[in-house]
Amino acid sequence: MSAAASSSKAPETKEGESSNREQAVPHLGMLEEDDEFEEFTVADWDDSQTDLAHLGGASPGAAKSGGDKLWEDNWDDDDIEDDFSVQLRNELAKKSSGGKGPEPMQH
Amino acid sequence: MTSARFSTFLTQIAQALREEKGPELAYLLKPTSDHGKQLVKEFKNPTRQSLSYYEGSMEGPWDDIAIQYVLVVNHCAKRRAAEAFKEECTLVNSFLRYFGTNSGWTLPALFSILRDMRDLAFDADLEASSNGQEGTANMEEAARIISKAFSSCVMDRTSPYAESRKWGVYYVVGLILKCYFRVKRISLSKNILRAIEANPDIPPLAAYPRSHQVTYRYYLGMLSFLNEDFAKAEQELTLAFYNCYTKAHSNQERVLTYLIPLRILRGHLPSRELLDRFPVLDDLFTPFITAVRTGDIRAYDSTLELCERRLVDLNLYLTLEKARELCVRGLFRKVWIASSRGTRIPVAMFHSSLQIAGMDVSLEEAECFVANQIYKGFMKGYISHEKQMVVLSAVNAFPRLADRTSPYAFLY
Repeated sequence: MSAAASSSKAPETKEGESSNREQAVPHLGMLEEDDEFEEFTVADWDDSQTDLAHLGGASPGAAKSGGDKLWEDNWDDDDIEDDFSVQLRNELAKKSSGGKGPEPMQH
Repeated sequence: MTSARFSTFLTQIAQALREEKGPELAYLLKPTSDHGKQLVKEFKNPTRQSLSYYEGSMEGPWDDIAIQYVLVVNHCAKRRAAEAFKEECTLVNSFLRYFGTNSGWTLPALFSILRDMRDLAFDADLEASSNGQEGTANMEEAARIISKAFSSCVMDRTSPYAESRKWGVYYVVGLILKCYFRVKRISLSKNILRAIEANPDIPPLAAYPRSHQVTYRYYLGMLSFLNEDFAKAEQELTLAFYNCYTKAHSNQERVLTYLIPLRILRGHLPSRELLDRFPVLDDLFTPFITAVRTGDIRAYDSTLELCERRLVDLNLYLTLEKARELCVRGLFRKVWIASSRGTRIPVAMFHSSLQIAGMDVSLEEAECFVANQIYKGFMKGYISHEKQMVVLSAVNAFPRLADRTSPYAFLY
């Protein structure tokens, strides 16, 4: 198994911001490794008592574009005003205006 | 020493047998039933010996089964788990002698006593470990006996289709797999799955009650997941989730615990609507999902680190570590957007993006990251190493993750 692919981890990712989050460790009290798949209280049921009921004919797990609203398949983030993008654009501007060496043109 | 209550018990069993009433028989053999408590009062410290008087009091093996029942309820009442388990095993073995020579009408009783035996094995192992004897010997014994029941179900060649013992196959398999998971011997599951495949005359899974289908698919999905057959795992867990009884919330939650990461890898993120129904999973996965959406590697890594223990315990750590690639894709996509979706972007820009994201990597490493993303199909284009330029495809430079035909290929 390719567990070695983690060499790219940021060396010092957790500082002030992440120690705040320490308190917010997901409390997974209800989700235990040893929990078992429980015995069903009834033996059989029909579609209306399952999540198939909301599919309206779409195939299970088809995602929103296929008619299953429980999953999103169109979620790429085009926000350009977030901090990261702003920082990135500044960097871009710096790089192209810095103009030393054979800096390739942008368009 | 005849007991009126015990005689009544025998009569009730005889009647259930005569009328072929499976659920009634199941009730009669349940250690927690009322008549069981009555029978505890009836006999002081019963033993096989002291009850031998009743041997032959009804058609075998039912005299044995009835006697065993008294022993089981007595041990249960005295909270002697190991003894109760041992006597229940004998009861089940006697029952199987009857079961194997009859049609499947007794299946409700079979399911019930196997379940009780497994529960008692659980208690017996717990009792042993509280006495300093760690181990799962009882659960392993239970699995062996349940496997015998499985064979007996599969081998029914005489009963009419509707009454075949084969209708017990998937329920019983579900119980065996539950035992194997409990004792962490999941490699043993292969034999059972092979036996199912080798018997094409077992009715199709979809013809069984949904509780059997869903339990079987859950375990099959989990086995595939643990064996890193992600496509199969996703397929089985998807069917398990959608066919699950919605009132069985914790079972749905259990399925989604593994299905959600698999679907994230596929590019299908759980919607708000779905997560709102499962707050525990919302807490666990939303930080990862948000990071993937926004390409925020720093947030992704710190969440991974924060939840490491839990994720390792749930066998989810490696999967979510692999999903980090999606986050890198998101980051590089941001570079592309910030570069006005140009087709020529210097490697140095990708390098900067990684550094802004908190990854102190060299230019060469950054180039390697880009090469990897291209190789895995997350970006379309090539690298001009000499010019240190990434040349991206003019159309669909970052294909939608959900559009990949083999979404799990990059994991191997």
